Amino acid sequence: MLESLQYIYAPQMLNGLSIGVAVILMALGLTIIFGLLDVINMSHGEFYAAGAFFSVSLMAMGVSFWLCLVLVPLLLLPIGFAMERLLIQKVFHYKDRHILTLLLTFGVAMVLEDSYKIIWGSNPIKPPAPISGASELLGVMFPNYRLFVMAFGALLIFAVWLLIYKTQIGAIVRAAAFDKEMSSSLGIPVMLVYALTFALGVALAGLAGVLLAPIYSVFPTMGHDFILLAFSVVIVGGLGSIKGAVVAGILLTQLQSISSLYISPVWSDPLVFTVMVLVLMFKPTGLYGGMKNG
Amino acid sequence: MVNPQAKAIRLIEYFLFGSAVILFLTGTLLGDTFYLRLGTEALIFGGLAMSVDLLLGIVGLLSLGQALYFGFGAYLSALILKEISPSFALTIVLVTLASALLGWVVSFIALRSKGVYFALITFGLAQVVAKVVYNTSSLGASDGMMGVPILKIWTPLGSIDADHPGTFFIISLLTIGSLYAVLRYFLTTPMGSCWHAIQSNENRLAYIGFKSKGPKQVAFVLATVVAAVSGALYPMLRGFVSPELMFFSVSGTAVVTVVLGGVGTLIGPILGSVLLVSFKSIIGTWTPHHHIVIGLIFVVIVISAPKGLAGLIAKHYSKRQSHRGDKSWAYFRPSSCVSILADSQLLKMLALRLKTSESPQLLGQMVPAKVPYLIY
Amino acid sequence: MKKYFKKKQITQIIMLAALSLGATLAIAQTGPIKIGVVTPLSGTYTPIGEQVKMGLDLAAKEINAKGGINGRKIDLIYEDEEANPAVATQKAEKLFQVEKVDFLTGTVNSGSTLAVGQVAERNKKLIATTVSFADSITGDKCSPNVFRVNARAGMQSAALAAWVDKEIPKANIFFIGPDYLMGRSTVSAFKKASTEKGAKDVGEVFAPLGNKDYSPYFGQVRSAKPNVIYTSVAGNDTVRLFTQMDDYGINKGVTIVGASGTVTSQNLGAIGKSANGFVTGVGYSPKLDNPANKQFVADFQKAYSKLPDLYGADSYGLLYFYKAAVEKAKSTDTDKVRAAMNDLSWQTPQGIKKMRAGDHQAMQDMFAVRIENGEFNIVGMVAADQAIGPDVCDRF
Repeated sequence: MLESLQYIYAPQMLNGLSIGVAVILMALGLTIIFGLLDVINMSHGEFYAAGAFFSVSLMAMGVSFWLCLVLVPLLLLPIGFAMERLLIQKVFHYKDRHILTLLLTFGVAMVLEDSYKIIWGSNPIKPPAPISGASELLGVMFPNYRLFVMAFGALLIFAVWLLIYKTQIGAIVRAAAFDKEMSSSLGIPVMLVYALTFALGVALAGLAGVLLAPIYSVFPTMGHDFILLAFSVVIVGGLGSIKGAVVAGILLTQLQSISSLYISPVWSDPLVFTVMVLVLMFKPTGLYGGMKNG
Repeated sequence: MVNPQAKAIRLIEYFLFGSAVILFLTGTLLGDTFYLRLGTEALIFGGLAMSVDLLLGIVGLLSLGQALYFGFGAYLSALILKEISPSFALTIVLVTLASALLGWVVSFIALRSKGVYFALITFGLAQVVAKVVYNTSSLGASDGMMGVPILKIWTPLGSIDADHPGTFFIISLLTIGSLYAVLRYFLTTPMGSCWHAIQSNENRLAYIGFKSKGPKQVAFVLATVVAAVSGALYPMLRGFVSPELMFFSVSGTAVVTVVLGGVGTLIGPILGSVLLVSFKSIIGTWTPHHHIVIGLIFVVIVISAPKGLAGLIAKHYSKRQSHRGDKSWAYFRPSSCVSILADSQLLKMLALRLKTSESPQLLGQMVPAKVPYLIY
Repeated sequence: MKKYFKKKQITQIIMLAALSLGATLAIAQTGPIKIGVVTPLSGTYTPIGEQVKMGLDLAAKEINAKGGINGRKIDLIYEDEEANPAVATQKAEKLFQVEKVDFLTGTVNSGSTLAVGQVAERNKKLIATTVSFADSITGDKCSPNVFRVNARAGMQSAALAAWVDKEIPKANIFFIGPDYLMGRSTVSAFKKASTEKGAKDVGEVFAPLGNKDYSPYFGQVRSAKPNVIYTSVAGNDTVRLFTQMDDYGINKGVTIVGASGTVTSQNLGAIGKSANGFVTGVGYSPKLDNPANKQFVADFQKAYSKLPDLYGADSYGLLYFYKAAVEKAKSTDTDKVRAAMNDLSWQTPQGIKKMRAGDHQAMQDMFAVRIENGEFNIVGMVAADQAIGPDVCDRF
């Protein structure tokens, strides 16, 4: 019993955890953008890809991986800001803005994906992992870089949580989400806050792209990789809830990992989807509700 | 007072019907096959778009997985034609019944949620089923099913060979046209008004004595049937089906055509489909980067003309009307549920002709001074 | 250089003469020979479509420079099929009906090839595939209007199984494949070929197409203790599988073998050193040592600064096949060309290929190729007649 726990379950759970951190990073940006801005960002996956592509180009120019981790999100901030300001805010005031922003970001995603193909070509590119080698963990070899990603990812998630919930900036952002008119009348530059929050969300996605590129490689359609899973995590956790994204992220990826021992891999996506539907049927606002009201 | 949107719809209907006739005549005279088949394909995908619009534009539910029912109809049709009998009438009837049942069953899962969640559930459902079909070898797996026989369609005027592109174009036109007519009819009934009311403000519906669940379910089932019957026409046209018919790109493209043509107009999506199919065919020959072009056009439309082409035409009509001083309009139905759509949140002028037994109630968003002035 | 100019002038005169000769013949076909190419130029299979285009363009340029086919230039007309059979049939019909092409090629996935084959039958024209390797295309779903110049899956398995049996007899083989028709059938074809020779099947895993993380399955692989792993993943999936296997040390002491599409020049760069030691059964390698191939590879690199892969080479060879057939038939009429194509032998970078009349499958020598430091080294060979397998097509 103990042996099977060590050799079979523990490695699977560890694997699930490393995938989980990746998914949570994606879902974080998504849930912040929805929770705070009420915008469904269908182009989120393309920003994840953008981060990966930028890091590939920067590293080809000689920039070190560690510098990329800082530079790439900084590069994505103005892009996200511009997109929010110039495109999303134009449709913001409509009653059916949920649908319009969904469609708008969907169109942007199409444009972005094709642009990647034009600029970087359609062949896959794999940047080298900055940390090589593997360590023996619980009797099996586990790549060091993945351990790093898990640790770094966890720190990052914690940092974002701190930012949103424990700082004044975070309070401003939450206030703007909670009651736009009131915050604005208290002197908060609401439109600026919205644009910055969107920028933060997509920068997070880009950072995830940089981190994961050495593991999952880079190619124009990579934006589709995590998107269904990320959306499921966001929904199950509750749109707008960071805690929910973390909990749901771990839950769903562990579910996938352990279930792959018993069922054929092709059923793991349907399984996640079924869980999502069940959660929606019995607790429509997800496990932790949302940051906003209603 | 004539509704500018209704005028726009009328215009598009005439335009499409006229173009169809012209296409048929010129195509048959010139012995063309490709353009007639392209037009048929535009109609078929227009039917799918119509089903998306029924849910989105009329009831207010965005479905990102309507291709699921389209593919269902296509596969079922291919199976019936291959295994049972190459009969048009039988296929359409069976597909209608089967898809109505499917829609009814799915509605219990999907309609539990609204808005974003509904969109994501429909998206996920389509992804999952498409994947299952992709891996099912009895349905041809990733290759799909080939070799659908050519139909002989029985009519009172004699048997028609469906392989003839012109004739099949007319058949598809009639089929999609009938679906359109059925939906238009529904819109004139109390059910239709309820749909509009659900879109405007679902919670308030209970206050005037209507439940929202029933009408929503009916709309969902209708949308499923429309999508499936449109899908059933596909193997008759191309002779094969493949799992790609259920993929997100098909659902996504349907949504694009709905927005392009005009949400809520039902005919707009068909126009949008015709435009997009032709456009893709032309652009695709010039450059393989057609996704960028379509994406850009889409973004521009969503920002500048969110009500699509029909909306632009309607705006043009209403500008002409506003010179005469009318800024809002209402449509009336011989029913107890009246829905009012206004250009601005403040109704500037509204005239109702009522029977003595009827009493109006104004429901709407909380705006200050929502005091109805009723001038007799 | 001078010689080249002279040749050009001579060819121009010949062309002029041929054209005027052609013009005097009453029923003669004049003008360029239009060949339609329906190939994925967007989406996941774009890299393959690009190689197809490069191979076809190079061959067309060469043939046109030498006077074309029967004096008529080749005009290639491209359409993007987005790797979607629905789009492919629409585009194919456009090419047949509107552009009135004489011949069509370019389809990549087998669904598209089969669907377009149906369109070709309806339009009474011929098509050929240079990429699809599903056995059904020249097997149970064969068509009198469809030809295949590339090796089919069964041929690839034969070459690979022979090599594995020679180098690692009675191996314990674990199978990893993408879960769709092609992935599964490739695995089962190799499984059959290798177990017949005495190898043992110790387990299999089918991950979804486009799977990003294979680490959940490594536990299974480890506990099966294989000494050979066979995989039929392709494109981006290969990059991920191989690099992840390397990260986790799964490939230590194990020989990794796989389908021909698993590692090609498009994803080799990304896979890097994790591909070293990989062996596959394939119909082409840029390192084939014959004069025709050396010339081809040099010309290809000069034109595109890239190495050709099997898709580029087979597409290049296709145009020469068509040329030989049309010249033999002295016409582009469908029935005449089809008759000419049956049992036709022609020169390709892979040597002489012969088109088997019974099922329209080209016969060629198959090679076992091992990858070392970015090079496709040939380590084994199976002769054409042994590799081809039985003719199971009975539709014509």
